[in-house]
Amino acid sequence: MGLITISTDIPWLSLIWLSLLVPSVLIAFIPDTQQQLMRIVGTGFAFISLVLSLLIFFAYDPKVAGFQFVERLDWIPQIGITYLLGVDGISLAMLVLNGVVIFTGSLMSWNIESRAKEYWIWLLLLTTGVYGVFVSLDLFLFFVFYELAVLPMYLLIGIWGSTRKEYGAMKLTLFLMAGSAMAIIGMLGIYFQTGLRTFDMIALARNVTMSAEYQRIFFPLLFLGFAVLSGMFPFHTWSPTGHVAAPTAVSMLHAGVLMKLGAYGCLRAAMWLMPEGARDWLPIMAVLTILNVVYGATIAMAQRDAKFIIGYSSVSHMGLVMMALASGTQIGLLGAVLQMFAHGIMTALFFSVVGRMIYERTHTRQLPELGGLGRVMPFAAVMFILGGLSSMGMPGFAGFWAEFAIFIGVWERYPLIAVIAALSIPITGAYILRAVYSVFFDEVKNPEFLNLPKLTWQEYSGALILASILILVGIYPGFLTDMINMGVAPIAQQLNDVIVAGR
Amino acid sequence: MFQITDIPRILPEILLLVLALLVLGSDIFERWSYTDASRLERVRASAQLSTIGLGLIFIITLVQSGYLYTLPVDAPSNFLTNILRNLQAGGPGQGTISGAFATDDLTMIARLILIGAAFLTSMLCLDFHPTSNPAEFYALIIFSTIGMCLMAGATELVLIFLAVEMTSIPLYILAGYFGDKRSSEAGIKYFLFGAMSSAIMLYGMSLAYGFAANALGGNSTANDLTQLSKIAELAGEGNSLLTLSMILLIAGVGYKIAVVPFHGWSPDVYEGAPTPVTAFISTASKAAGFLVLFRLLTVAFPSLTGSANFGEELGGWTSMMAFLALITLIIGNLAALPQQNAKRMLAYSSIAHAGFVLLGLVAWASPQQFDRDQGTIAIVYYLVVYTLTNIGAFGGLAMVSMAVGGDDVRDLNGLARRNLPLAVLLAVSVLSLAGIPPLAGFFAKFYIFMVGWQSGAWWLVIIALITTIISLYYYLRLLRAMFIEAPASLEPVHAPAGMMTAVGVSVLGVLLIGIFPNLVLGIINRVQMVAGL
Repeated sequence: MGLITISTDIPWLSLIWLSLLVPSVLIAFIPDTQQQLMRIVGTGFAFISLVLSLLIFFAYDPKVAGFQFVERLDWIPQIGITYLLGVDGISLAMLVLNGVVIFTGSLMSWNIESRAKEYWIWLLLLTTGVYGVFVSLDLFLFFVFYELAVLPMYLLIGIWGSTRKEYGAMKLTLFLMAGSAMAIIGMLGIYFQTGLRTFDMIALARNVTMSAEYQRIFFPLLFLGFAVLSGMFPFHTWSPTGHVAAPTAVSMLHAGVLMKLGAYGCLRAAMWLMPEGARDWLPIMAVLTILNVVYGATIAMAQRDAKFIIGYSSVSHMGLVMMALASGTQIGLLGAVLQMFAHGIMTALFFSVVGRMIYERTHTRQLPELGGLGRVMPFAAVMFILGGLSSMGMPGFAGFWAEFAIFIGVWERYPLIAVIAALSIPITGAYILRAVYSVFFDEVKNPEFLNLPKLTWQEYSGALILASILILVGIYPGFLTDMINMGVAPIAQQLNDVIVAGR
Repeated sequence: MFQITDIPRILPEILLLVLALLVLGSDIFERWSYTDASRLERVRASAQLSTIGLGLIFIITLVQSGYLYTLPVDAPSNFLTNILRNLQAGGPGQGTISGAFATDDLTMIARLILIGAAFLTSMLCLDFHPTSNPAEFYALIIFSTIGMCLMAGATELVLIFLAVEMTSIPLYILAGYFGDKRSSEAGIKYFLFGAMSSAIMLYGMSLAYGFAANALGGNSTANDLTQLSKIAELAGEGNSLLTLSMILLIAGVGYKIAVVPFHGWSPDVYEGAPTPVTAFISTASKAAGFLVLFRLLTVAFPSLTGSANFGEELGGWTSMMAFLALITLIIGNLAALPQQNAKRMLAYSSIAHAGFVLLGLVAWASPQQFDRDQGTIAIVYYLVVYTLTNIGAFGGLAMVSMAVGGDDVRDLNGLARRNLPLAVLLAVSVLSLAGIPPLAGFFAKFYIFMVGWQSGAWWLVIIALITTIISLYYYLRLLRAMFIEAPASLEPVHAPAGMMTAVGVSVLGVLLIGIFPNLVLGIINRVQMVAGL
């Protein structure tokens, strides 16, 4: 029994993604002049989706574990494609994360005035795709939603972005599409080489009939295909450019949720379905992620643009996620998923402070030009520092538990890599403190900053929600860890079995 | 032998012929004068007559095919069921007519695609006014459609040739219809290349005939030596003369479907022809060409199928198709990258799409019947999707160029702010061409990849995927122009109702059969029974 009981006759998971597809269609019929109405509809439905995800989160029965709320419909039966939805502990954490980020993201979008209608349509369509990915258990369906999440990004960045937006948008889209082309090859490989002729992931995972040799060929394609989206070295270059170019809510979604899609894909599709391929390739992936973690953090040190700092810090933190995935141990996987959650919330908070509260008012994000904003907007300063503390892995914040678990997990398998990666912790501290100092505490460099407009209630509430989740999970991570642990256990177990068998 | 009961089996073609003559004839009863008003009246009358007529014929063909509803055998006899029974008696199945024309499911589905394309094209032309001889303009579209339907069903060399010519000659005239410099160039270029390719094809046919006559020792009086299945029967284990004939036939048909290296004419023709005609040429005429190619290769040359597996000895037409698909995909997509003219860009994109269909033909490299059938289904599905998508794309472009006065990529700038519905329709079509889920273009490509992969041509699938990513760049350029770039003026772009409906119908189709592929896959599944196989 979950904490609450909900009827199982209702297709809850379909409702989740529909709850964002419906408003994106509705908004198309709202007259252009009614911008306030669009905002209310968009935010309202985002809230509904959050409520639905929380409902499922609490109704999930931890005693039974496994996949629950499963919906199965034939879609294209001739070639074994089903409409198959279901959630386990991993997807639950991701669902809640997405719900929180889209809701706060839409709160942060109330200042969009140019072409507001299109903005809301694309934004909601994007999150429809994200929700879809987290609940789908059919590889084909998974992929369809995945692509649905990528394309609106192009327009969102291209139209409402800043700083080299067209370049950023095109680069991002081409990188991600190249990744999905690799993933398609991996998918076809699984489909044909298992001989099962189905895309149903549950069936594929239950009987892994693919020979180890083919797993070795197709694992890197599927893994790297999704890893592109999670910003793994050497495919990370699109990510800081994309983050910087994107409008605030999109940066929040992008760094907060979309990059998690990639890591989620690696875990769910590649590692789950091809354990033997994973055994042989993960050490190599682990080495690559060192570069992410350390190099990403180092580059963040050298940036002058506050959004670039956050962008590279995302590369570094997602590197930790990928490293933990590559460790393949249960606690490592737990840490990876928890870090996805913690980093998602934290980055959303960062971007809402830097992109919305500061940039929209000062029109600059260059550290040397900012300064002393702590006096002008203390609230923003507090929020940024809270996010920063979590990012540094300070105990009491969500980030601490995640990084703690990650380092334990990685140590178990690759002690040397864990040691090298730990270098990133002081570097992270350094760049966060540097950013905090030069944005909020240095002397006021521009006298105009003293008369900036006040923060709006949307900014207050959005940031408060995010910050309180960071602290809540920091104080009592058991909320999430129990769920996540149940989700990752079968994958870790399977991986462990093949590793033992390989010795 | 042709019997009187065979008439219902070619009912769609007969009806098309009647309609074409009606369109031509009814023009006489219009008011003729040289004022613009009277000219417009004539254009409208002919356009409406052909649109309504084609719509009706489409419905009749659909009823006849029995795909939506087949009359049960024990249905009571009354006026309505009698009509329906007689109509469906000519439905799919029952061998070929005189060995020359098959009315199997493939033909039936092809008729629906082709007549549907003609219907949408003439709807696009409702507001796209040909300046002179309106009746001829519409009648030529319909005549050409008859030729295409015959192409789709032809199982005999002479009929194939006649049908190809019947299709092409009206199209030459249509391409040059505007009479300005570019349009005339398109017409004459199309004609010269077309005549050339016909000659090559004819030469291939004569060799095939010569081979067949020779195989019987020259003492045969049979008149069935041009039938595709007869050629296959006599071919035995294959023979160099037959191989040469096959290569020439592929080259001849290759011109019609504009695959590299026979594609040289198509960008100029597509750019110069009136845009709705471009839509028609690039969809219907191509689809018919593919069906001819399909029947030719699979029915007449099964002994030369060969293999396209990596590492195995290459040979036969599947490896030739694989090679053509390879260069078509690469050159088509790369050549589209630098184009500044949107129509020309779509022309190259349409060349590249031909590569995907060829990839479906490679499925025959697999010895398993199941894989081959999947290949056929994938090809037909691709043709349906491609037809709808391209009519949407060219139709949208036609509206823009009518309103803005040009069809360069920069003429699309800021379309989203000048006419959002039009921009969205055009964007959906373009994204479907690019293969973005959940639009139909994605599943079509995915299916083709699947059949290509299972036939052993996985290397080609990988290359096709890479070119898909490359193609995304130029499709995104169109999207960027429409949504991101600043418009030249904020004056709204006028979108005529008829064209909007045509484009809307195609986009709706693209969405529907993309999300629910089974709507058409269920029907297409029947094409497995191809006459002569």
